[in-house]
Amino acid sequence: MTALRNVDVLLDDTLLTLNRAVGVLRRRNVGVARFAVRPCGSAGVSRMTFVLDTDAATADRVIQQFYKIVGVRAVEITTVQDPTTQEQP
Amino acid sequence: MSEIVSGAQILCRTLVAAGVDTLFGYPGGAIMPFYHALPEYPGLRHILVRHEQAAAHAADGYARASGRVGVCVATSGPGATNLVTGLATAHMDSSPVVAITGQVSRAMIGRDAFQETDIVGITLPITKQSYLVQDAAELADVVLEAIAVAQHGRPGPVLIDVPKDVQNQKLEFAPSVGAQHAAPLPTAPDDGVGRAAALIAAAQRPLLMIGHGVILANAYAEVRALAEKTGIPVITTLLGISAFPEGHPLHLGMPGMHGEVHVNRAIQRADLIVGIGLRFDDRVTGNLAAFAPRAQIVHVDLDRTEIGRNVPVAVGIVGDAKTVTRELVAATATRRCEAWQAEIEAGRRAPDASFRGGMSPEAILGAIRDATNGTCTIVTDVGQHQMWVAKLFPYRRPNTHITSGGLGTMGFAVPAAMGVHVARPGEPVWAISGDGGFQMNMAEMATMVQEGLTVKLAVFNNGYLGMVRQWQQFFHGKRYSSTPIWSPDYVKLAAAYGIPGYRVEDASDLADVVSRANAVPGPALVEFVIEQEANVFPMIPPGGSLSEPIEAAV
Repeated sequence: MTALRNVDVLLDDTLLTLNRAVGVLRRRNVGVARFAVRPCGSAGVSRMTFVLDTDAATADRVIQQFYKIVGVRAVEITTVQDPTTQEQP
Repeated sequence: MSEIVSGAQILCRTLVAAGVDTLFGYPGGAIMPFYHALPEYPGLRHILVRHEQAAAHAADGYARASGRVGVCVATSGPGATNLVTGLATAHMDSSPVVAITGQVSRAMIGRDAFQETDIVGITLPITKQSYLVQDAAELADVVLEAIAVAQHGRPGPVLIDVPKDVQNQKLEFAPSVGAQHAAPLPTAPDDGVGRAAALIAAAQRPLLMIGHGVILANAYAEVRALAEKTGIPVITTLLGISAFPEGHPLHLGMPGMHGEVHVNRAIQRADLIVGIGLRFDDRVTGNLAAFAPRAQIVHVDLDRTEIGRNVPVAVGIVGDAKTVTRELVAATATRRCEAWQAEIEAGRRAPDASFRGGMSPEAILGAIRDATNGTCTIVTDVGQHQMWVAKLFPYRRPNTHITSGGLGTMGFAVPAAMGVHVARPGEPVWAISGDGGFQMNMAEMATMVQEGLTVKLAVFNNGYLGMVRQWQQFFHGKRYSSTPIWSPDYVKLAAAYGIPGYRVEDASDLADVVSRANAVPGPALVEFVIEQEANVFPMIPPGGSLSEPIEAAV
């Protein structure tokens, strides 16, 4: 079932890793509703956040693509409707 | 003990320490410090190619034939961009290649300096990982990590971009213990093997489909054991060819766009497909909506992202093909599928004979088989000849069929065969090309002569870009737009390069000429003049169902 899904990617804060991660979204033709990158709070780590409007299986495959990138440390996915897990602006 | 060395020397030392023995490359301005250091390291054999694309393909061929990383080297700018097709080829076919490129000095990066290009940026989508080395102190760790990343898990190409001043940088150096990238391979989190075994036990019409992952994992014995224990017929994808012996009673052949009718029919009638180390790409499945409509699918792959990406699966098992197949052998009960196999075999028939005269692919490939006692490795380009080889050559030994499957790169065969020869110097290697693909990289004959590389070159000359012409015939109203292609006199061309050249126009000469070409020391070229408008049958129209093959010209 299609739903808005919030994806958080924790990754090394190097431009190369970030570039490769963004490239996954472009190369895999993933439609992204919102996108943000910010410091994570831990030294050397950034948090890339984006929102997908897709089904669970497609979202899971997107997550697995991120896990293949050297420098990606963790990927978390939640539905946007769950307010307890959303990033604060 | 540490000493003062240059970045270039660190690069060479680390490659030697990592077990690299061959580099395929081409020097230029930004990589000159590396080439200056290279003669100090005789353990690194450098093969000077005639174009950087060939360096990448040769490294790819070396990697596929040896199971080890293949290394190519180029300078910045055009040298680096010329690698791109080779890296994309390696990326699509999961081949462990490490590309080392020179870059303009750090102070010049971003200034559009002479021969500057952002090769890291250019190659991001076609590499597993890439590095722009900013300090020679990082070089050893980067090289070791790059080699490990290229080979670990699902293999793929890695790029190391080294600015010229980093190559010249002097520093105190002690050999690195290595930053290894040795994360454990993924394993199935649940009882996928048990569920797959249960499906195998219950199936009435099961099939095994095996792909490149079986070759990469060296899982030949395990796959054969699984097939023979269960009696399940085996289908080999284009890149899975030679993972299971041709002629084995359970072997069916290749599926998909140019697969035999009985193979595709079996897929459409199967109630279970166990896919090992393949990705169910569009050339295999045809129209996805109509693919294997009755079958549940068990998919085994090392790359989790492949599971369920193209076809829905009943059971997905993430893991190495060798390990998982061994577990499947242990978990499955002995059974037979004789009625099912007989049903499939009843549909086997010879394809439409589209050749006039005796110069058929069967006859040519039979002559190569006989001349080499069936022991050669065949490296093919892309097009009609590639399909004829895939369908007709009787492979008996594992990993003796090497081709560009995913990217479909014309010009691959000749340089890749050089890499195969370096990896297997005592074995015959035949590069088979069409007249189009051969002309893309035929300058590598000079490399073969200069470096003493014994590669036999077969050119299927039909005067057309044959596969494109075939599509024009079938789908574009026979408008042969820009597909007739002129060729030079290949015999004279071979002579110009100083190698024996032969032309075969009559089938009665095949055995003698191929035998002589195979026996002569060093490289040799044989031009086979074949029927101009022959077609590859059967053929599934692009986007069509496996149930709707074209079996003869209309």
